[in-house]
Amino acid sequence: MSAMVYGRDTEVVKRLKPEPVTSEERAAQKKINDVDFEIFHHKMNMIAQEGKETTMKLGASSGMRWGDVAFGIYTSQGDLSVVATGIWFHAVLGQIPVKYIVKHWVNEASVGVKEGDSFFFNDPFYGGVHGADMGLCVPVYYEGKLVCFTGAIVHTGECGGSEPGGLVGSARSKYDEGMLVPPIKIGENYTLKEDLLNMFAAMNRDPRTMILDIKARLAASRIAQRRIVELIDQKEEAFFIGALRRILTITSEAAKKKVRLLNDGVFRQPRFMDTVGPEPALTKIDITLTKKDDTIKFTFKDTTPMLPDKPLNTFFQGIVGLSMVYFCGWFFHDLPANNGLLETLEWEFPENSLINAQGDVPTSVSPFTQTCFAHGMFLCGARMTYHLDRLRAVAAWFQGFGVPIYGGMNQWNEPMADITPEINATGAGARPDKDGVDGAGAYFATMSDCSDVETTESDRPFLYLFRNYFKNSYGHGKFRGGAGVGFGLMMHHVPWVAMGSFGYGSKFPSTLGIFGGYAVPPMFIRTVDGSNVKKLLAKGSTSLPNTMDKVYDWENPEQGREMHQHVTMPIRPVMNGDTFYVPVGGGAGYGDPLERDPEAVLEDLQNGITTHWAAQNIYKIAYDEQNLRLDTETTEALRAEAVAERLRRAKPYDKFEVDWLKQRPSDEIIKYYGAYPNPSEGSPPGPPGL
Amino acid sequence: MGYTISIDIGGTFTDFCVSQDHGDTHITKSPTTHYDLSVGFMKGIKELAHIYKLGLDDFLRQTDAVRYCTTLGTNALIERTGPKLGLITTSGFEDTIFLGRARSWADGGTTNENKDLARIEKPEPLISRDMVVGVRERIDSFGNIICPLNRDEVFENLQTLVDRGAMGFVVCLLWSFVNPEHERMVKEIIEEEYPEDYLGSMPVILSSDVSPKSAEYTRFITTIVNAYIHGVMSDELNKLGIELRDGGYKKPLILVHNTGGMKKVSRTRAVLTHNAGPVAGLHGALTMSKIYNYNDTIFTDMGGTSFDIGVITGGRLRTYDFIPLIDRWRTNIPAIEVKSIGAGGGSIAWVNKLMGNALEVGPQSAGSMPGPACYDQGGQEATVTDADLVLGYLNPENYLGGKMLLDPDLSREAIEEKIARPLGIEVVEAALRIRQIIDARMGQEVFNEVALKGHDPRKFVLFACGGAGATHACGFAPYLQVKKVIVANYAPVFGAFGASTVNVQQVWEKSRTLKIFQWATQAYSEDVNTFNGVVNELKNLAIRDLRLEGYKEDQIQFRLELDMRFGMQYNLTKIVSPHLNVQTPQDFKDICDRFNEQYSAIYTPEATFPMGGINVECFYLTAFVETPDPRIGKGSWKHRLKDSEPLESARLTSRQAYWPEAGKFEETPVFDLVKLKTGNIINGSALVEAPDTTYVIDPDWQFTLDVYHNGILKRN
Repeated sequence: MSAMVYGRDTEVVKRLKPEPVTSEERAAQKKINDVDFEIFHHKMNMIAQEGKETTMKLGASSGMRWGDVAFGIYTSQGDLSVVATGIWFHAVLGQIPVKYIVKHWVNEASVGVKEGDSFFFNDPFYGGVHGADMGLCVPVYYEGKLVCFTGAIVHTGECGGSEPGGLVGSARSKYDEGMLVPPIKIGENYTLKEDLLNMFAAMNRDPRTMILDIKARLAASRIAQRRIVELIDQKEEAFFIGALRRILTITSEAAKKKVRLLNDGVFRQPRFMDTVGPEPALTKIDITLTKKDDTIKFTFKDTTPMLPDKPLNTFFQGIVGLSMVYFCGWFFHDLPANNGLLETLEWEFPENSLINAQGDVPTSVSPFTQTCFAHGMFLCGARMTYHLDRLRAVAAWFQGFGVPIYGGMNQWNEPMADITPEINATGAGARPDKDGVDGAGAYFATMSDCSDVETTESDRPFLYLFRNYFKNSYGHGKFRGGAGVGFGLMMHHVPWVAMGSFGYGSKFPSTLGIFGGYAVPPMFIRTVDGSNVKKLLAKGSTSLPNTMDKVYDWENPEQGREMHQHVTMPIRPVMNGDTFYVPVGGGAGYGDPLERDPEAVLEDLQNGITTHWAAQNIYKIAYDEQNLRLDTETTEALRAEAVAERLRRAKPYDKFEVDWLKQRPSDEIIKYYGAYPNPSEGSPPGPPGL
Repeated sequence: MGYTISIDIGGTFTDFCVSQDHGDTHITKSPTTHYDLSVGFMKGIKELAHIYKLGLDDFLRQTDAVRYCTTLGTNALIERTGPKLGLITTSGFEDTIFLGRARSWADGGTTNENKDLARIEKPEPLISRDMVVGVRERIDSFGNIICPLNRDEVFENLQTLVDRGAMGFVVCLLWSFVNPEHERMVKEIIEEEYPEDYLGSMPVILSSDVSPKSAEYTRFITTIVNAYIHGVMSDELNKLGIELRDGGYKKPLILVHNTGGMKKVSRTRAVLTHNAGPVAGLHGALTMSKIYNYNDTIFTDMGGTSFDIGVITGGRLRTYDFIPLIDRWRTNIPAIEVKSIGAGGGSIAWVNKLMGNALEVGPQSAGSMPGPACYDQGGQEATVTDADLVLGYLNPENYLGGKMLLDPDLSREAIEEKIARPLGIEVVEAALRIRQIIDARMGQEVFNEVALKGHDPRKFVLFACGGAGATHACGFAPYLQVKKVIVANYAPVFGAFGASTVNVQQVWEKSRTLKIFQWATQAYSEDVNTFNGVVNELKNLAIRDLRLEGYKEDQIQFRLELDMRFGMQYNLTKIVSPHLNVQTPQDFKDICDRFNEQYSAIYTPEATFPMGGINVECFYLTAFVETPDPRIGKGSWKHRLKDSEPLESARLTSRQAYWPEAGKFEETPVFDLVKLKTGNIINGSALVEAPDTTYVIDPDWQFTLDVYHNGILKRN
């Protein structure tokens, strides 16, 4: 073990930017002409694509099945040069475990790194996100020399925590979160170690999925390894090493060039969350983004302190990773995705803050904090890029999750523990020229899809009661966000399933609008224990709800013990016939709803995307409810009156600020917030690692 | 001796091939008449008749078969000319086709388009939301009825759709592929309300009939696409049939299928005609491969806008498309995969300034209109064809046999302005780079396609077809390291030629989960009845269908393929079953062994996980009537070998062409393919001009006109 304490290496996790160019890489540049390099770059993308598709084909977890996969090719120093994925945070985070292996195991006699080895990892301290994201990489040797690594990262889910499904909402320390494995060798001589696989299987509620996913990652890594060796056979080792580095170099240069095009300025966006995992409470991430020349610097001065025994904390690496979701998919969409992009970004994370976890604090639901930050990034990004590329200065996709999590036995008497796939059906943010796309996917895993109901039902003990677009599930605006999806599940086939859910935004909206657009409304889970739905179905009842809004109709004949819960809902047994209703939010709105084309509102009414209440009270249009014919004159009058009413309520900003600062949430709500209103001005609630 | 006419409609040209049993084969091309495809269709047939010095009537009277790779269905989808349909689905799932597994915005998009997340868009639906109604019913994953169908609700919703103008109904209910009872009841209700003898009678299409496979989105879409193009195709094909009959043709018109077979129009499901042309081309490559006794072949077809890739392994077309897309719709048809990438003569070269002035080629294409700059049709962009012209490979006065004159000055200007000046290099250097990059891209994409199917391209033979295939084969073949490149005699019309080689064949399919090696007990299943039940059901359907096609039961052969997976894997690996029916658990073991072997070969032995359980998820029964191509048996395509040295008369002239190995333009001999004799050998560097293509023979390559009059390219 070289120069570190066991368990945590705080140095390697900071090495997110490309490693310094080696003399070998520099010397090789002279041998690379432009055409050969373009051809090489294309070939590497082909190899990564083959790796990604292979991983998806062979895996078993929900994440793997629906494309939540990142396949990368890393330099011999561990920088991620080429990646095929839609989960852009892995484009920069996947490198840390590889750099760890290079730093610690290459020269460690008791471990070593050799041809035919394979390494596994899922400790979020190195992976950056959470323990459910698991990775595997293999070193690639050419004539005895380490030339690169290949590897795959996928959300497997179940990792043996105190609750099933990979996210432990009630975790009080990292020791509740199941297996969190720093990079460890799990195979030698092209053979996986059965004793280690056996150990992983024993630590996991769904051993089959765990093993299949490991094998899927390995098979893909090996195929990519084979392709790279074949390529070096043709192009020489020096060319390969130099060209792999050049991909990083040109990416950095291109990113700097693009950042330089932006106006200099400071962009601020405070963001709030309404849960800390096991209980609702308000927390804050305070984002300030300063753009100057070719650099964007992030600071987070007034962010909630670290929570010693609540799983909302995130390692700072996760924040850096999630920034890439915005950058790769939106601002840098026309550049390669690799950690060369990070050359344009600077970071300053406050010590002992929610976004800079240390010690043994739990981080199971850190994706909330990371996406909450990413949402702030979208808001700052739209303002920062508007002058340069108006059509890509858009509102955010849904950020709040809303994912059932479960464990137990399925109808085939097989173990299972996972999440449902509808998280990949959120709505996209509205745009300057059009609505967001309905049911577009997950903004952080855009290559994923939301499965078919039949596929989920084939080996999960659920019967979907409905799965349709959810009315008003998005932010209204001149252009509205894409609609989200609402679905109802009835437990079926088996006596019971352990079930909960996770997400945020039940009490404070998770996703705000932009340029006058509205936020996505708060969402919550409804459960009905002892439901009569199964009996009503057997009788052919036609009045059972078939959309989420009808669940709340007075005419809904379902009876039982109804509960409305925060979207982060603790895991508990749900019995056969009980029902579970889940909203997955839509995208945020863009621009003033009063400017929305009335015909577009009527079309939404026609298509069941909005309600008469919203049409009349938010969009202020007048029409015949029977035939949806617009009354243009009255609409114009209603809208003019709405604008006048706004002006009557208006006050100067300094007066507003004075009034606003007089307000304060209750102590119960802000007990984890830190000093109110500015957390930096008070002492944190307790020592780290409690 | 009867004629077989085969026709493949393309974006620019309609290709024709006529053959006779003794092997006499002729080809021609006719401009595609988009306003009315039958005009170009009949014009081409007249040209064929002219070859035999016959009138249209005499020619068609002596014609045994007209085989047609139609694009009518695809056109109807693109142009949205299908009827207004009503969709009846399970209540609570009315948005299934609009949700599109969420990611339908990416279906059919390029990598770059799909990465630009601010601008994504889902395809415009084929059925609008107001034409979708839900009916209360529910069946679970085992086929149990959890909620009975409510007949009154069906009546009520039916009336709503009729009032809104439905011209046909698509019925897509959850789990109908396991238990079709409710879908059939809906059909009965519709037919009771609108019986066939009423003018209001409308077609009713069930998802359990069209696509009895798991996963509702693709099943619903397959059924909808089928219903959407059905009427349009039916009308147009009837019109064509009448024209052919009026012209003297007495047999039924035959359609080529994307499953690699063919059937009469009356026995064809519309959705199986999509992409039939490229699949026919792949079948042509299969036929040619059989002549040479090659089992593993890569088929490529480089045209003006696209580059098609298909793979033949083990002497058969057996790789079905994993996610077959029709236009922008994800379907589940058992189509043979011929992948199309945006690379062709019209691919546009551009300088990516953001990425340090990187030269990129495609995926944008100038298409056939305005086309490359040298076409002088207003195109301003530098394309691959412009680069080929600047480098001296194409003859500006003999392009497409002289049918189109090219202007090299326009090519030079476009390359100078768009590429050379921004990069600070000479025009010729820019043209060379364009060519090198497009060749590499095509070669590497082909490599990936073969590799993704678990094969090593180096063990394959490459067919280079299409108008630009021979021009670029020496450029992209090295990226595959194949042993040999064959540019087929009929390469420029290979789809039409391939159509002349297909057999009567159809695939019947059905999803059914069978855990044949069980995780819980670690034992092989003993339930042979369920397995055999599915196979026999498909077999009966096949026999009934092919009897109606005019074949006897003893003529029909079967091949069973199975989609299989380990444990809870989602994706499936297809194997050819060693047993058609099973008798004992040992037979299940044989099937599992075959699956393990194949999986291991594709994904490495480390990846297998038999102890996790092995499932069969879908059955595919291919029924076919093998009719050996008499042209192969008689060797009628074979020509007698002549001298290896081409006659002087075959040498047209010479011209300056640029060879990167020499680093300069060199006077290069130009040959006329038509005048070359069997066995003639030409060493590169050289150019061979044919009526529809130009061979570019690189300096270290050798061209041989073999006994089948195919051009064989080998690297020295």
